[in-house]
Amino acid sequence: MTATDFLNLLISSLLLAGTYAAMAVGMTVIYGVMKIVNLAHAGFLMLGAYFVYELHERAGIHPLVGVVLAFPAFFAAGVLVHWALGRGVPVSDQPTLASLLLMFGLWLVLQNVGYLVWGTDDRSILTPMTFATIRFGEITIPKIGLVVFASAVVSLAALEFVLHKTWFGRAIRALIQNRYACRIVGIPVQQTARLTFGLGIAFAGAAGGLLALLYPFSPDFGRPFLLRSFVIIVLGGLESFSGVFVGSLILALVETFSILVVPSSYQPAISFSLLVVALIVLPGGVAGLVARKRSRRAG
Amino acid sequence: MSGNAPPAGVGARSLRALPPLFLLGVFAALPLFHPGANSVKLLFMTFVWIAASVGWNILGGFAGQVSFGFAVFYGLGAYTTAVGINSGLSPYLTYPLGAAVAAVASLFIGLPTFRLRGPYFAIATIGVSEAVRVVMSNIDFTGGASGYRIDEHGPFRQAEHYYTALALAALAVVVSMAVRWSRFGMGLRAIRDDQDAAADSGVNPYTSKLAAHAVAAALTGAAGGVFARYAAFIDPEGVFGFQRSVGILLMPVIGGVNTIWGPVIGGGVYGLVEEELVARFPQIHLLLYGVLVMLIILFEPGGVMGLLERARRLVERGSDA
Repeated sequence: MTATDFLNLLISSLLLAGTYAAMAVGMTVIYGVMKIVNLAHAGFLMLGAYFVYELHERAGIHPLVGVVLAFPAFFAAGVLVHWALGRGVPVSDQPTLASLLLMFGLWLVLQNVGYLVWGTDDRSILTPMTFATIRFGEITIPKIGLVVFASAVVSLAALEFVLHKTWFGRAIRALIQNRYACRIVGIPVQQTARLTFGLGIAFAGAAGGLLALLYPFSPDFGRPFLLRSFVIIVLGGLESFSGVFVGSLILALVETFSILVVPSSYQPAISFSLLVVALIVLPGGVAGLVARKRSRRAG
Repeated sequence: MSGNAPPAGVGARSLRALPPLFLLGVFAALPLFHPGANSVKLLFMTFVWIAASVGWNILGGFAGQVSFGFAVFYGLGAYTTAVGINSGLSPYLTYPLGAAVAAVASLFIGLPTFRLRGPYFAIATIGVSEAVRVVMSNIDFTGGASGYRIDEHGPFRQAEHYYTALALAALAVVVSMAVRWSRFGMGLRAIRDDQDAAADSGVNPYTSKLAAHAVAAALTGAAGGVFARYAAFIDPEGVFGFQRSVGILLMPVIGGVNTIWGPVIGGGVYGLVEEELVARFPQIHLLLYGVLVMLIILFEPGGVMGLLERARRLVERGSDA
């Protein structure tokens, strides 16, 4: 492998990591606050892809504008779903059998509504950017990858701002740390949980739209990305935002560079193998190491 | 839950065992009345599903560990049986072999994931069937993605298949009962309710979960084997596919998790409805199941068994008044 190949792979994995982070962060925020493993994440990723696709095809709206529109649309959808499921999605200390199965049922519903509406054919969003590349000497960067990466980074920066500079964001971070203490200081737990659910779904929808710019999609679009999101948040320690970035980077690097050694037909098995390795070597993820130190100090 | 009924006297208990035994007798005598080949096939598949469903419940219901990857065991059992028959083994030897292979595979999934608290196990199982399916699709020895044919010599006897599946379903229920009322089963229930308290009272959550996983996997593997011999042709998408895992999970949830008869009812409903639904509405059937799961969790987590319990209570209240 030449240095150029290496650089090309490195750049494409960095670009991929940004998109992955936007994809997984919605799941982290919901898990962190409510301890719900949102299996329906896959369904919302898929819906996000079709949302952007339909806006592009029917109304001629630019896909990137579509991704921006996906945020409010899916936020509203998330809040609505949380309201409709009511006591089925409680804020709890650890994931319950019921919430796991409930989100699983929701995923089945979303996925198969997708099949009813759009059929089984693969679709893709094609824009003039799709096949354009930018060249720096020997290094070629796909333009679409760069644009998607930039959008993901902007949305993540906005999220960081919300989390650290607004009361809603502080409430989210407080809930992740200690639910009981939150009640004592007067944080409206249920209301924050509802908005958090909306936030998580908003990111799922928008990330689905971004992914649809990179890959063809069908109603089963979400499943491989659901597993990738899991790998990322497990690597990141389930409820840590910085962990998401580290996890995304690790997964993107492993996926991209494994092309060199693993036959492409085995690619779908890679994220799972990484998950198992992560569970054995790094239980609790990258952030778990920090947390373990912290709890030792507290104990 | 309904399973926590006060210990009944010997008479009451043997009375309660009558309906299932009666049903077993009816099914055992059924082939004597020459039902159509299609009905026999439908019942055969239903028994296979019941065995897998009861298996899932031992881990998912009794121990409370939800798995989305039981297709792995079903598929491994199917392939082990297929390869075994093709290399000249007696089919009845290949079923336990398939069960053993599935049980060993369950350890590989359980060893890293059960060590950790939290949703790790459930998460990992979503990926595991996908990973195994990918590997099986690439193994030339079993024909890869294009599938594997079983060449069994001798005539095709549907009744033999039927009785095998019936026996397996009955065995699964017996195993499920044995686990439920054993010290081991009590330990599983304790883990489900409160893992810390269980550990404090001398139950090892790690090894108990592993053992429950292995028993569940063995039953599911045997079910896969029985199916494979009947089908005479299996492919990775069919036996390892995510749909298979979804199906195995849905049955006990519909019937009622953490009970003896819930998974049996769920398997029966699923088995009888599935064939019709899939043929007519290939997409809608999963949509319906999704809605059903959501309704069950929101309104009656006990599934069909929970509904029956409610009905029984209503009747009792009515007779009191």
